[in-house]
Amino acid sequence: MTPAPRRVRFGVVVFPGSNCDADAHHAIGNVMGQKVEYVWHGRTDLEGFDCIVLPGGFSYGDYLRTGAIARFSPVMNEVARFVERGGLVLGICNGFQILLEAGMLPGAMLRNESLQFRCLYVHLRVENTDTPFTRACRPGQILRIPIAHAEGNYTARPEVVEDLERTGRVVFRYVNEAGEATPEANPNGSVANIAGIVNAAGNVLGLMPHPERCTEELLGSADGRYIFESIVAHVLAEGGPRGPTAGSPGGGVVG
Amino acid sequence: MDDSRRKLYEGKAKIVWEAGPGEAGPGAEAARTYIVEYKDDATAFDGKKRGRIGGKGRVNNLVSALLFDLLEREGVPTHFVRTLGDREMLVRRVKIIPVEVVVRNVAAGSLAKRLGLEEGAPLARTVLEHYYKSDELGDPLINRYHLRTLDLAADPEIDRMESLALRINDILGGALEECGLRLIDFKLEFGRTDTGEVILADEISPDTCRFWDTETNEKLDKDRFRRDLGDVEEAYEEVLRRVTAGAEKWRVRRRGARASGGERPAHARGEWPAHARVFVTLKSTVLDPQGAAVENALRTLGYDEVKSVRVGKFITLELTHLSPERVDEMCRRLLANPVIEDYRFEVVPATAPPAGSPPPGAPTGTGGKGQ
Repeated sequence: MTPAPRRVRFGVVVFPGSNCDADAHHAIGNVMGQKVEYVWHGRTDLEGFDCIVLPGGFSYGDYLRTGAIARFSPVMNEVARFVERGGLVLGICNGFQILLEAGMLPGAMLRNESLQFRCLYVHLRVENTDTPFTRACRPGQILRIPIAHAEGNYTARPEVVEDLERTGRVVFRYVNEAGEATPEANPNGSVANIAGIVNAAGNVLGLMPHPERCTEELLGSADGRYIFESIVAHVLAEGGPRGPTAGSPGGGVVG
Repeated sequence: MDDSRRKLYEGKAKIVWEAGPGEAGPGAEAARTYIVEYKDDATAFDGKKRGRIGGKGRVNNLVSALLFDLLEREGVPTHFVRTLGDREMLVRRVKIIPVEVVVRNVAAGSLAKRLGLEEGAPLARTVLEHYYKSDELGDPLINRYHLRTLDLAADPEIDRMESLALRINDILGGALEECGLRLIDFKLEFGRTDTGEVILADEISPDTCRFWDTETNEKLDKDRFRRDLGDVEEAYEEVLRRVTAGAEKWRVRRRGARASGGERPAHARGEWPAHARVFVTLKSTVLDPQGAAVENALRTLGYDEVKSVRVGKFITLELTHLSPERVDEMCRRLLANPVIEDYRFEVVPATAPPAGSPPPGAPTGTGGKGQ
């Protein structure tokens, strides 16, 4: 009997106040056809997953600072170990903010320069295709992906930004339709129009735009698929995280 | 001394001058500063006893400078800018609030007399008193109700003075212990800056503090003059010597002073419930969009004097016991994001409120919600 092609196993973490978890679940499971399950924030075992998604939302009401309290959820300790084993972590919007607060990515978020909640489609230029999250993209490709946030004004010390730039860790930049990183194309005031970055090892991506909201043409854009396709391609090519092998995936798997 | 100076005020122990041209640095600084000259004249018992203590002006100026500097580095705002020679210091221009705040750790002086306590008896709790600065009335002891009735200071200002006084007690108590000096009690005066901020003013010296030798309990302060104990000048010089030696140690080991035990108040030793007030602000290098918006709004309302606005957070913590190190850790791990924010905190004892009155320095917290 020929084994069915391996499907990549995603976990979508659910914090109190997450509200893009269902979108991510739908995009990964129904649209991309991968295995996906919800991971409650109190869970302390992430074995067997290939990729963990920290979804958008307002975890813990955004109290104190966005992501400041979620980073101390039990699951985040496990996410750190998962990252050490080489597992892929995708932090979207509030997920990106949590990764910054947890110190898993450098820098911090400030209120948007406009002080407004910005909810609109933006253009992103893919700055590095040599990451697990962008390998299905063409260098310099422009993606159309929506944003929806009040605190996406990325900041970091100048030497940190310089290091991110030099090592190709700025993965997405806000640009205009023509692909130019102009001040007008910057929706929130982020330094150097930065929209998404990876960690030094390349297995943790944080980005403010929402790829899970645009995987179907019906919704106005399917460019978000490039990111999920990249992850799937990477896992199938390179294998999942190292470390203790999991038993068979548990329940809650959507096919 | 510069002849072009204008004398603004002469008191029993100090003269306040308006700085002459060039004395206080560039014009802008001169406009915001005064010069305080410390005199050798000594008085006691509201001027009934008069005399001179050779070298007192110098000792008081230099001791005050070292202690103000220590307090500034521990986050207490003071009027001290820098010394101008042995007997003078440049200070920020403030309007003195006519209230003396006295903090007592050990029974002595008028407290011992008033309450019938033996001099030298340690006080179970730190005692804080207010005196109305009035030569005419002989600086009477007053309470918060009197302060309000006389409209000497607004309630938030009284809270501020009390919480700063207790914090100063913590800092000085530990630091002076290291110099072999027991801080028995001391008197503080506060002033309002142009912007209405309440900061520490006046002096901190053997004229305004009781210092006893930690080993022998020998008095090393103005009580030697008040009570004709002799060796007055020697005692003042000894205090300067010890504080100067201590200042070297504090500089090297800034945080060490805070951690030392000794005669520090119970709440500072972590044996008493305490409140911590945490202030979180965006680093000055980080653009503050909210501050900018508020600044524009204030200007639109016609408040042209607003130069800049920074919006931050104020958090109060109620603690079963106090450990400054742990509060610091809480700030670093959760309450502030060190990448973009600075924090500072102050600690006040959580005293049981006497019937009908709010506890001194009780926080009027607003919670720590962001936005």
